[in-house]
Amino acid sequence: MAAKTAAKTAANIEENAAANIPDNIRNNIVSKTEEVIFPEVMEAPRYSCALAGAYSTAIGIYGAVPILHSGLGCGIGQLFGQFYAGGQNAGGPQGGTSTPCSGLVEEHVIFGGEDKLRRLIKSSIELMQGDIYTVLSGCVPSLTGDDVESVVKEFRNEAPIIYVKSAGFLGNSYEGYELFFEAVIEQLLIKRPIQKGLVNIFGVVPYQHIWWKGNLKAVKEVLQKLGLNVNIIFTEFEGLQNLIKIPAAELNIVLSPWNGQRAAKKLQEKFGTPFITLPGVPVGPKQTSRLLRDVSAALHLPAESVEDLIAREERSSYRFEEYLGDVMILAFPQPYFSVVADSGTAIGITQFLANEVGYLPDKVVIADGAPEEVRDQIVRELTDNVECVIKPEVIFEEDSHRIRENLKRGNSLVLLASSLENPIASEFGAVIHITISFPSFDRLILDHNYAGYRGGLALMEDIVSKYCGPL
Amino acid sequence: MASEDKHNLVEPGINLNAPTCPNREQRAHGINVWYGQATQLVKEAKEGKLQAKDRDFQQTSGCALNFYLAVRLNTIRDAAVIYHAPVGCSASSLGYRELYRHVPVSLGRPEKYDLHWITTNIQENDVVYGAGNKLRYAIREAERRYSPKAIFILASCTSGVIGEDIEGAVNELQPYIDAKIVPVHCKGVRSRLVQTGYDAFWHGVLKYLVRKPQKKQKDLINVASMLSYTWQDRLEIKRILGKVGLRPNFVPEFASVDQFEQLSEAAVTAPLCPTYTDYLSKGLEQEYGVPYFLYPSPMGIRNTDEWLRKIGEFTGKENEVEQLIEEEHKNWQPKIDALREQFLKIKGNGEKITVLGSLGQGRLLAQLPFFDEIGLDSPAAMSQDFDNLILDEVEELINTVGDFKILVNTFQAAEQAHITRQLDPDIALTCPFQGGSYKREKGLTRIHSLRADALPRSAQSGYAGAVACATFLLQSLHSKSFQKTMLSKTQDSYKDWWYKQPNPLHYLKKEV
Repeated sequence: MAAKTAAKTAANIEENAAANIPDNIRNNIVSKTEEVIFPEVMEAPRYSCALAGAYSTAIGIYGAVPILHSGLGCGIGQLFGQFYAGGQNAGGPQGGTSTPCSGLVEEHVIFGGEDKLRRLIKSSIELMQGDIYTVLSGCVPSLTGDDVESVVKEFRNEAPIIYVKSAGFLGNSYEGYELFFEAVIEQLLIKRPIQKGLVNIFGVVPYQHIWWKGNLKAVKEVLQKLGLNVNIIFTEFEGLQNLIKIPAAELNIVLSPWNGQRAAKKLQEKFGTPFITLPGVPVGPKQTSRLLRDVSAALHLPAESVEDLIAREERSSYRFEEYLGDVMILAFPQPYFSVVADSGTAIGITQFLANEVGYLPDKVVIADGAPEEVRDQIVRELTDNVECVIKPEVIFEEDSHRIRENLKRGNSLVLLASSLENPIASEFGAVIHITISFPSFDRLILDHNYAGYRGGLALMEDIVSKYCGPL
Repeated sequence: MASEDKHNLVEPGINLNAPTCPNREQRAHGINVWYGQATQLVKEAKEGKLQAKDRDFQQTSGCALNFYLAVRLNTIRDAAVIYHAPVGCSASSLGYRELYRHVPVSLGRPEKYDLHWITTNIQENDVVYGAGNKLRYAIREAERRYSPKAIFILASCTSGVIGEDIEGAVNELQPYIDAKIVPVHCKGVRSRLVQTGYDAFWHGVLKYLVRKPQKKQKDLINVASMLSYTWQDRLEIKRILGKVGLRPNFVPEFASVDQFEQLSEAAVTAPLCPTYTDYLSKGLEQEYGVPYFLYPSPMGIRNTDEWLRKIGEFTGKENEVEQLIEEEHKNWQPKIDALREQFLKIKGNGEKITVLGSLGQGRLLAQLPFFDEIGLDSPAAMSQDFDNLILDEVEELINTVGDFKILVNTFQAAEQAHITRQLDPDIALTCPFQGGSYKREKGLTRIHSLRADALPRSAQSGYAGAVACATFLLQSLHSKSFQKTMLSKTQDSYKDWWYKQPNPLHYLKKEV
């Protein structure tokens, strides 16, 4: 079709040769080779904007009231595009249509929106239940140059309050998470005495990582078995206290090759907190044991007791995995599978399926826009750390059209992707599609998860249940 | 529409030479906030006193782009949508592939279809250097990838504030692009009212997509159907029109581009929601002589009768329609009567069950008479907006159901929670745009389905819809466990004082 269009276009150009068309445009139309390509012009990228990421992060913290300094639609847009898309979740008491918003219109573009923001902050503190107020400024005030910082400072004595310059055009949802924590670190956190055994978890982005709630809970539970005090920041009622105690940690644990890295580095610079990185939230026994070993090595915990714990946990998990044996071997042994997900989820699920249940990795599409500098590391996790003679083709692609074209070249029976792939999975020969990444319109996710020792069992329950019947 | 001229309360005519429509605020004195008796609202409206106001406390509630257009325009089947915007403005569009997939093929959904949208993904350097070339690239890329029949370009706050010349790009590229390019000037900051977005969309459709009629189709009825009307509503409308030899032309959702082109050939444009369809109806009449009516919508038995009669008048099918109405009544009226009896019996003391809904202007006009019909009482109505386009119809409504309280409030959740608590209706009808007001002791259900729902229970239009909806409301009274549990076990969004003071418009700015 592209060729036909190009031919027709060229014919049109000739017909219109007399028309006064500027050369640069004519060249763009006539010659594909001279056309400037904009790779970021995409069909349905699987994330929202920086404002959405900062907003989700705020909503992830219980008691944090987001105050949107933006157009009126920015919150509703994210209710649909980030919260519903993030596992069909409501926004909770401070999210969705409950979220205060300055509702900027043309007059604020011309005269500025600072006064409007001032009145909104005042009324929000009066009316909204909350422990900390987070002003998230979007595209419009950034373009018109509102001095958000000065307005926010007027309220410093009234309530805990921070501001995040999170114009949507600054980046995607993942960027919004980083901007939020940069603001927290700069505006809220002060040095505190180190609490022995306290660790913070970074790298899990609320709503964007659709398993965020269950994953964090599972990670906390398993690390508690090492005797640690685990600050997962999100979901718990003590949201503000969780933020404030971040600098008291002995260690920061980043569960992503790139999300949360900036926060961890900044905390290291400002408070000297060391950090370790794991490639993702661990799925199943092998990865979870790796987490326990890495964390205890970083904290110099006695190796013997850690190995005892690992042995007990693994014995128990594999004892349950035995029940999987018949249905998997008889109904569905060694299928090819492909994954479309964010970096951490893709690594966790691919490694589990390849390394623990004998599935054969075909294509792994990393769809979160992982930065160039971490891509080699991601590829290594998906090849060197995949114990299979078949190594997956790793594709970095954010454009849903090109992702679809890539999947068409494969032939996987099992497709672990987003709900975008649900209606078109049969195009790729897949007989099982399950949603494991954003967006997830076809799965409600409250605290379900694939993390920790039990995570692999949950994943197999979900995959095999899609296909099994009488043997 | 005589009163429009009489009071000069609505800008006459539609100017398709302009790049876009006027805002609802200008076109029809659209307002974003008001509370009081409906009779008083009508009085003030007629005196030309209504105007949009500012609030000191406000909650996110939708803009011209991100309330409706971004969520649903992507379902136009052989088109492509381009968001000239930062990436977040189109996140609400991510459901595009799934929206209509739940409709079984056996119920008339085409088995194969494909939908497309692209974002220009405006970034920081584009804000500095301009994003015009990205838009041009996106248009060419959409054509190369999808060979669409139409390309809709949706503007955003950012493309507007940085001064992107969308019209210029369209005029320049259209000669080389097979698809018809339709710019929609729906930047969020342009208006306080999401309804401006509907008008902006129809303006683009009328200006760029509707073709000169090639033939008149005397059996074709234009019906503009938006997200709150389900697949079953379509089937019911198709069924009743089909019985008198007429065919609906449902636009814009899940329509093909061809259906837009043919809008000019129809016998009449009939409403589901007058506020939604107004601009299109008037434009089609002005440009192509397609007649229209805006009231009533086919919701409830009496309104469906009247809706059909109006269509009968425009298509010369008065007699067939009368026969149809008689036949339908034989089937459906006893069912409605039985449901009415059940509602009236619940309280046992002759008192009616009270119901409070958050409605668009369309549902305000259509649902209140329906509630009356099935023996429910509406102590008040919440309307997301109000404008002079429906002035006559509100007067007519007051004549039918009596005076009522009305809260115009653009989905302000705190105000809605307040009035729901204050009026304490037996059934609160909610949609996701009411924050935490669903937590309560009494009845609760949704106001309408919000997807391409194919379940018979979700219908609300026509005769089958009236029975389905009444049954649905009755069913909601059978259990209150969810809302009661959430009320007692979870936190409210607002501090206690909010509910202790009497005024839902506490934060309305006194001066304008």
